[in-house]
Parts: sequence; structure tokens; C-alpha cells
Amino acid sequence: METEQVNPQMRVQLSTSQLDIVLPERNRSILVNTNLRRYGLSSLVNTLLGNEKPIPFDFLINGIFLRSSLDDYLTQHAISSETTLKLEYVKAAIPPIHLASFEHGDWVSSVDVLSTTSPAQRWSNSGGQIPGHERILSASYDGLLRVWNISSQITATSPSAGDGGHLSSIKAAKFVSPSRIASSGTDRTVRLWKYEEASDDSPAVMSQQIELYGHKASVDSIAVHQPSSRLLSASADHTVCLWSTRKSDAPAAPHSSLPVNSSRGAKRRKIGPAISTSQRGYLSSLKSHTAPVSSVIFAPNDPTVAYSTSWDHGLKTWDLPTSTPVDTRSTSHALLSLAAIPYLKLVAAGTSARHITLIDPRASATNVVAMTLRGHTNAVVSLATDPNNTFGLASGSHDGTCRIWDVRSTKTDKEGRVGQSMYSVGRESIGGVSRTSGDGVKVFGVLWDSDIGIVSAGEDKRVQINRGKGAGPITQ
Amino acid sequence: MAPQDATKKRKAITRDSSAADEIVLSDGGGDLEAVFLEGSVSQSEDDGSRLSISHVFAFDEEESDDLDESEESEEQFGTDEVPSDPEQEKVNGTGLNGSAGSISKLAWADEDSEQPPNHIVTEDANGNPRYIYQDIDPIYASDDSEAPETTNTIGNIPLSFYDSYPHIGYDINGKKIARPAKGEALDALLDSIDIPKGWTGLTDPNTGKPLELSEQELNLLKRIQMNEVGEEGYDPYPATIEYFTSKTESMPLSAAPEPKRRFVPSKHEAKRVMKIVKAIREGRILPYKPPQEDDEEDLSVQHYDIWANEAPRPDHAMNVPAPKVPPPGYDESYHPPPEYLPDKKEKTAWEEADDDDRQKEYLPTDHSSLRKVPGYDKFTKEKFERCLDLYLAPRIRRSKLNIDPESLLPKLPSPDELRPFPTTCATIFRGHGGRVRSLAVDPSGIWLASGGDDGTIRVWELLTGRQLWHVKISSEDAINVVRWRPGTDAVILSAAVGEDLYFVIPPIISPELESRSNTLLDEGFGYASSKPRSDSTAKIPAVQWSRPTSTRLADAGVLLKTRLRSTIKVISWHRRGNYLTTVSPSGQTSSVMIHTLSKHLTQQPFRHLKGLPQSAQFHPTKPIFFVATQRTIRTYDLSKQELLKIVQPGARWISSFDVHPLGDNLIVGSYDKRLLWHDLDLSVRPYKTLRYHKKAIRQVKFHTGGLPLFADASDDGSLQIFHGRVVGDLMENATIVPVKVLKGHGVMGSLGVLDVDWHPREPWCVSAGADGTCRLWT
Repeated sequence: METEQVNPQMRVQLSTSQLDIVLPERNRSILVNTNLRRYGLSSLVNTLLGNEKPIPFDFLINGIFLRSSLDDYLTQHAISSETTLKLEYVKAAIPPIHLASFEHGDWVSSVDVLSTTSPAQRWSNSGGQIPGHERILSASYDGLLRVWNISSQITATSPSAGDGGHLSSIKAAKFVSPSRIASSGTDRTVRLWKYEEASDDSPAVMSQQIELYGHKASVDSIAVHQPSSRLLSASADHTVCLWSTRKSDAPAAPHSSLPVNSSRGAKRRKIGPAISTSQRGYLSSLKSHTAPVSSVIFAPNDPTVAYSTSWDHGLKTWDLPTSTPVDTRSTSHALLSLAAIPYLKLVAAGTSARHITLIDPRASATNVVAMTLRGHTNAVVSLATDPNNTFGLASGSHDGTCRIWDVRSTKTDKEGRVGQSMYSVGRESIGGVSRTSGDGVKVFGVLWDSDIGIVSAGEDKRVQINRGKGAGPITQ
Repeated sequence: MAPQDATKKRKAITRDSSAADEIVLSDGGGDLEAVFLEGSVSQSEDDGSRLSISHVFAFDEEESDDLDESEESEEQFGTDEVPSDPEQEKVNGTGLNGSAGSISKLAWADEDSEQPPNHIVTEDANGNPRYIYQDIDPIYASDDSEAPETTNTIGNIPLSFYDSYPHIGYDINGKKIARPAKGEALDALLDSIDIPKGWTGLTDPNTGKPLELSEQELNLLKRIQMNEVGEEGYDPYPATIEYFTSKTESMPLSAAPEPKRRFVPSKHEAKRVMKIVKAIREGRILPYKPPQEDDEEDLSVQHYDIWANEAPRPDHAMNVPAPKVPPPGYDESYHPPPEYLPDKKEKTAWEEADDDDRQKEYLPTDHSSLRKVPGYDKFTKEKFERCLDLYLAPRIRRSKLNIDPESLLPKLPSPDELRPFPTTCATIFRGHGGRVRSLAVDPSGIWLASGGDDGTIRVWELLTGRQLWHVKISSEDAINVVRWRPGTDAVILSAAVGEDLYFVIPPIISPELESRSNTLLDEGFGYASSKPRSDSTAKIPAVQWSRPTSTRLADAGVLLKTRLRSTIKVISWHRRGNYLTTVSPSGQTSSVMIHTLSKHLTQQPFRHLKGLPQSAQFHPTKPIFFVATQRTIRTYDLSKQELLKIVQPGARWISSFDVHPLGDNLIVGSYDKRLLWHDLDLSVRPYKTLRYHKKAIRQVKFHTGGLPLFADASDDGSLQIFHGRVVGDLMENATIVPVKVLKGHGVMGSLGVLDVDWHPREPWCVSAGADGTCRLWT
């Protein structure tokens, strides 16, 4: 009796949406002590499931992760312990562990992967990439694209500036299909490359297909949609350009933007051998932003709609067939990165003010900012969605860390409910510790693939792969 | 019957005494008869004469006690001669008329028996004798001279001896001769003669009758005589009957219908009620709370009885009279009632208690009589304590100013409300060898240019800190200043290295933009060659604009160069991007130069300039030029070519200044650690002086992109960010709030932060440090 007085009990209803961990019907409603925390509940569920190897679980009440004891939760929300609490349990995110780092000669600005689940692979439908043959594409400030296999070996490198490659730093690179790569950089071009991998062990070949001219300043972000063979690029010249990835569709390049016109540019061109690549222009240039455009993406469900973020604090929705801005959502900070969360119909935007805002881009939404995720100590310049978790997000920031977020993981502070990061991934090059203002270890690009894990690139000239332990079939 | 009559008679006489007196005074005829009757009736007014008369009557009574006739005659006489007494007449008429008449005749007959009878005796119808009396001759016509003359017997003495007496002498009979009547008595007599009212003595000519005036007419005449209005009852000064009352009633009665506003709820009252409700909601008005009784007294507070020996004093503000002491109670009596006496327990408790703990200062004690009350035992002690009070207590009220100094400071808004402003270091730009002397963010906000002691100009990607391009201009001279040309139509970077001014087009821009920038730089070559300057060649050798000699520089994008005569320390562009000014403090007359880019022209605006120029700047909107010397800032109107104003910040050595984008305010940084805000409309003296740095301030800069921010860079290695809101309204002063100190730069050789610049749109600032780094703060 006395123990009961010390630990009052309450009835909880356990449920889950994941089929492999469903509890038998009779076990779903049980009495538990209210002083239990996540760990206690997790071991309880593991006991009920009869798991030999315990799986860590997280518990959701009303879509919010339980981060305190049940007792505290009840007190905080003024719920009687007599009521039955509905607890949804999900497999907890596992703290990512550093798997590998691929060293580069210069800063790495962007990464992309080719795996069975990557969009480029899904679009191509050309068989399937054999597991273990995933490729990692990295774009570097030295103007070279590199394709790596997961054994940290370079399978291919793009030609240097003299051989018809990017004249200066590459800022963004993406797989269009397993055999095509798009890249853009501070030389104001977007380039499409052919990537051919021989069946035998001979090195793969990367050759330039099309040069896309039209931007007047550095092209900082690209987005590709292979099925409609469209490519979007965001540039510091305040425009977003829509391109065709097919040579036949694309119009000719505007004469003025070609480097030949410049005397000094011509001089520089003479240094290297002139390699004849087709030069093409944009289908349309979307001009509405008043500051450098930092990021652009296709809407996850509709390739005719695009979102772009800019330093002018705005998120714009574009209708691509008519090339018109449909809607503008204004925030109070410069926006530097963009990712869509399709399940919540939100887009996440990283800001220069060290946080991530979740913006509802729909015109009907009354609140511009649905939620704020706080934790970074410097500008958030890259965002990636969690392929396994519809609420998950990974962000790369200039503070030298990648953070993993779950929209359901929140805390309440003076501004109301703000998102709280689940894990923070530091740079392995400095031992994972954080450094003031991310000096020397800024993260420029992050990508989350279900097969490979979290791939991030940064100022420390490395591509770093992190992954929750044992959750996937990656081998070293 | 007889005694009854006697009393009656006496009564009548006594009544007559006054009447007789009147007769004496009024009727001469009566008087004379009385004199006849008595023989000697003095005409005196005194009692004696009257008494004598009464005595005469009394004698008559006694004499004729049984003689009714004589009494009757006397009565008759009285009645005849004094008809004024009607009662008596009546009595005579009723009772005794017949006999009385005969008797009196008899009496008369008795007295005047010697005189011939004046009647004829006849016989009446009955045969009885009938006396027919003749008319009596009253002898009025006879002279009174025959009356016996009274002779004064006083002899030959002057009459003046009797002046003090009522009489003038004595007659032969020894009676007093009365003083003859004087005028007053005659007047009185005349007055008594009745003149009919309204008698005028005139005859009415119409009727021939004597004119008599009626009472009314007489009154009329009387009033006319008195100068009055003839009409009777006329009031020349009637009481004012007011048409409207002069009294002002405080609450007049009114028959006006009730106005509508009495029934409509008052908006004004609703407003006031809402005001109160709002105040209650906001907590400005608190509900009444009964004051808490301080049960436990604060021991730290000491109390003094300032009225211990209070003397009555004249009423004065500084004199607070002592409160009234309650009247003494029963227990203070020397002989209190037994219920007020303490019992043994109370007594011991009182005695054992400390002096301060005792509830009463005294113990009620019973003395059977007052003389048994002993002397006051605490007298000496009390006097001693009073003396202590006197010399220990301050006698002067010191008015101490009890104001919290914090409360005097103006309420500044909290920095949290003034966001956004830079708070943390976002990027560190590493690469310069040696100090970074100057830096600038390009007008588009993407790049950062910096120049330093290593002689290189570097252009960085602002956000990532990636160095995009660099050129080494000089190996010995430091880059003193780099500034971008304003405007996004071209990208031109100007840099000052020693005495040289370079114009650079960094090769990081699109070909289109590059060609446009090239055109801008090269325009002037044609102008310079076609139109040689004749005016300036006279005195000053023309400043040559040329391409840099080294092809390495030309290839790197350094396209234009001009050489002045002294080291350039400051470059400042005009907002249109065609003019720029350079300041070389050591250049004396040629220290401030204005260059025209499109003409490759260098002008020297000032022949003589007082003081050592430190900095110069164009007004953001007007053709006004600011030149800062060590102590002052002069403003010149460029179109009129005249001095407008001399701003005196009061600093010993101005290091830099910046003009607010709206043009009315100025911030000045000085080497003596001060940052001064000037309102140009207000005064030439600083509006506010901010002294927050420990060392000299090197650079001050306003945010130009619409945010109310400004920053200063100091040698103590820190930057300070201020919120400086300028309101267009002239009545309101600028709000200046320090919001952030940015620390991070290292101090190298007593130099800290050398330059600061703002991003053109965002609340980001960049700083150049002597530690060889630039930092971006967001």
C-alpha cells in the first residue's frame, strides 16, 4: 500500500502506427507509475513486446514527444491522473555516429547521393542501384565535382577549369539521373554533365554536356526534376531561372552573358583549350526577389510549382508554366535554405538569425511562421528532410554542426513553443567539439539518405557521413 | 338724605376743583364773578388760592348745612356758568329742576336785596304772582377802569427786588400782587380762541359767501407749501418693483422640458468610466486595501519624542504641535479605586520587567491622602535623559535629497525591443597578413572588400567567408582604404595605397557588368585627351590619371590609377558614383581633393583649410560637403560655394564621422574615446555624447539600408552597436540606445578594430581588425 502512495499509478493506452512493433490487444491498456520517464516506458514496452534486444522507443502524447516524467506532464497540462492517457510509441531516433569522412582539397559546398531511394534513382527506373554501390557527389570550391563511392574512393572527377570545367567555385551539385549530374557555381553557369560508369573497374568518366548561361551572378542553388526535365537555379543576381535539361528543348544562350564578349574573359579562355560544349539559355527567368536568392526547390507534389527563398526575407511560390510569383511569405530575417516537409504541408527555411522557421506556403494560411526551431548558433544554410520520418529534418549550419530535428520535439520558452533539436552532429575534423562561429568548420551542405545516412559537407574540406547505428545496411 | 347729599356735593366739588382752576384761567367773566362772590379771590395759580376757594366752599357747606337752598344755588351757579359739565346738568334737569330755580332766585334776592328789583310781578292765569324778569345788563360796555385798582404797597423800592419772585408786591390787603401776564400767556389765550377751520377772511367772488377752504384744499395748499407733490399719498421714492429678480438663484426652477441628454447615456462619462476600467485592468488603479497594521515594530527605527518639553509657539509650518495627551485615568490617581490597584502578581511582574518592556511607566499606588504622596523618584533620571536628548539630537532639519540616481535617467527601451541588430560573430575572414586597415561591403551585399598592411586587396564572399579574389598592389605600402563605388549598375572598387588611388574591377562579375564598369572607368580618357585642363595647369601640375604601368595589375583588374601628392587616408564616394573625395591629412593645401570619375578630373576645392583635415563626406541627398578637421566639421554648400556651418563636437581629435542617410544627423568618433551625436538642425554642439569605449574610436558608421543602427570601432578591440532612431518630426529628438558590444577582435600593438561597415540591407556589420581578420557580425 505504501509503495502505491509513493508512486501513484495511472492508466495509459499504448498504440503505434508501426506494424512491426504492435502490442497484442490485451497489453495495450495498462497501469503504470506516473513517475516513469521515456526510458522506463521504453523498457516497459520492450518487456511487453518480449524483445530480447531492446529497441529504444519514444512516446508521443498529442503529437508531442514526452520529455519529462508522466507526472510532470500531467501537472503541466493540468490533466487528472484518473484519465486514460493515450501514448503513441515510435522507434526512437538513434544518435548518429560518425561513419566516414571524405577529404577534399578545398571547401566542399554541396553534396548529393545516388542510392536506391534517392530521387534521381527513383526517377530513372533503370533497374536499381545495387546496394553497396551508392554514389556520393560532392561539389567543391576548387571548381571540381567529385563522385565517391561509399568506400571513400573517388570514382570520377569533373574536368578542371582549363579542360572546360567550372571556372571557379561550384556552389551546388545534384544528380539528375544516375548518369547525369547538374552543377552550378560562382562562374554564373549551370552545367550538365554526363556521368558514365564502366561496368568493370576502370574509372568512371564525367564529361560536360550542356553549359547553361543566363545568370549574372553566382548560382547558389539548383533543383532538378527529371521527369519533366526541368532545372531550377537560384542566383545572387536576384533571379530564379528555369532551364530545360534537354539539349533540344533549351533555347540558345543569350549573347551578352557569354564570357567571350569580355576582353579579359576572352583572354582567360584562351589559356585553356576550347572545348566545344553546347551553350544554352534559360526557358524563363523569374524576377521578383529583391535580394540574392539563396535556395530554390520544386514543390514535392507538383513539379509546376516552385518555392524559393531569398535574402530579402521572403519565401516565394512560383507558378512555373506562367513564370509568375503566386505568393510571397515575408519573415523578419534573411532566408538562406529551404526544404519541404510534405506530410505537414510546410516548408522549412533556415535563416541568418540562427534558427529554422517552418512556413506554411499555402495562400490560405493565416500564420506565416508555423513554428521555430532554435538551437543553431550561426546561419542555417542547408536543410534536408528525414527520409524515414515524416516529421524529421536535418540542418547544416555555419556554426559547424548538423542538427537533427523532429517537429514533434518541442519545449516551451518565453516565445512559446519552439522546436528543440534531438541531436547535434559536430565535425569530426575537430573532434566533434563546437567552435565559436564555426570558424573553419562551417557546414555548407547536408543531405539525408535512408541508405547512406546524413551526408554533410563543409569548410573543413570534408564530406562527413553520420548514421544511426545499426539502422541500415551500410558497410565499411 | 342729607349726609348722602353732602357726600355727593363733596364729590362734585372735588371734581370741580380742576374745572374751577380751568375757569380761573380761561374765563374772564367767571373769574370776575368769583371775585365778586368772594370779594377777594386772588388770581394766583398756586395751590393756596385753590385751597382757599375750597375752604370758602367748605365754609359754605358748614354754614348752610341745613340750608338746601344755598347749596342748590351754588349748584345752579355752577351749572349755569360751567355748561361744560353735562352730567351735572342732567342731574339738575331731572331731579331738582323746578324747586331749584326758585330757590336760586331767592338766594339772589337775598344777596341783592338793596338793588331795585329787575322784575315785574304780574298775575298768571291761576292767580299766582308771575315774575317777569327783565333782561340783565351785563355792563359789558362799561369800562373796567372803574374796577378798584390794586395798589402796590411796596413803596419806593426798585421792582427788580421782586425779580426772583412770582409776585411784584402786595396790595392793600397784604395779598400778593401777581406779576402781570406776559406775551406768552396772551398768546396762549389767543390760541385758545377757536378760529373755524378753513377760515380765510376772504369772500368768494362767485357766491359772495366767505371763502372757506375744505380740509382737502387745505391739505393741498399745505403740501404745495412744503414743496411736495399735491396728490395725496404720492410717494416720490417708491420701493423698486423688479421686473426680473436681481437675486441669482443657485438652483432656479425651470419649466423647460427635460433635455434629451438627460436620458441619453453620456459618452463623456462612458469614456471616463472606460478610462478607469482600463486603468483597473492594467493595474494602475488598485482596489482599496486597508493599510496593514504594523504589529511588529521595526526595531531598526528609533523613535524620539520631539514634544517632550513642548512650549506653545506661534503657528508655523515648521512647528508641529504635540498631539494631545489623553487625560489621566483613574489608575493615575494618588488614591485610585481598589479595582485599579495591581495585585501582588502584577506588581512583581511590573517590577521585574525591564523599563522598556513595561506597559505603564508607573505603578498605580494608593495613598490615603495627597500629602502622603512621596517625591518623584525618577526626577533626576528624567532630567538627565532630557539633557542627553538635547545635546545628542540634531536641532537642524537637514533636507537630504533622497532620489535614486537611476530614476533620473531617461527610460531607454530594452534592447530586446530594438531587434534586429548584430549580436554574434558569424564569419571570420582570414587571409590577410598584417592588419586589415579598411573594408567595405559592396552595394549588392554579396561581397566584402578588404585591404591591409600586406598591400593586398581581397574580395570575399560575405556569408561564407570564402576569399574570391585578391590582388597585391604594393609590397611596401599598406592599403589604407577600400571603398566600393555606390550603385549596382557597375562594380568598381576604389583603393588608396600610399599616394595612389586605384580603381579596380574585380573579375568576379558577369561579363555584361564588367564591360559596363570598364566603360565607366575609361570614359574619362577620351575627355581628358580632348579637353586639356588649362585652368589648373597654371599653378598645380595636373593630376595624372592613367592605367597602371604594370600589366600584372591590369590583368588582375586594376584598371585606373591616379597619384596625388600625399598619402590618402580617406575615400568617400558621392551617392551617384561619379564623384569621390579623398583626404590626405598631410597634404596641406591639397589635402582634400574631389575627383570626377567620368572626366578623370581632380579638383582642389579648398585653397586654404584651417586645421588638419581628417575626413570628408558628401551629404546623402543635398549638394553639401562635410570636411572634418581635428576639432571641427565644416559644411559647405557646393552649389553656392560657401561655408554653411561649423559643427563643433568638442572632441580633441576627430577620427571619423558619418552622416545619417537622411542627412540631418551626424555621428563623430574621436581619438579621445568619445562618440558624439549631432543634430544639425538643433545645434552645432553635440546632442549626445557617448563615452563607452576604453580607447580611441577609429571609425563610426550609420546603417544605410533603412535600419536605425550605427556602429563604432575602437582600439579596445570591441565594436559597439547603437540603436539611433531619427524621427522626421522636428519636435522629437533622436532615440539613442546602446544595444550591443561586439567583442572578438584581438588587440595587436594597441590597435583593435580599425574599420567597420554595414551590410546595405541586413542588420549585419563587418569589422576589420588589427589582428589580421575581418569579422561578419549578424
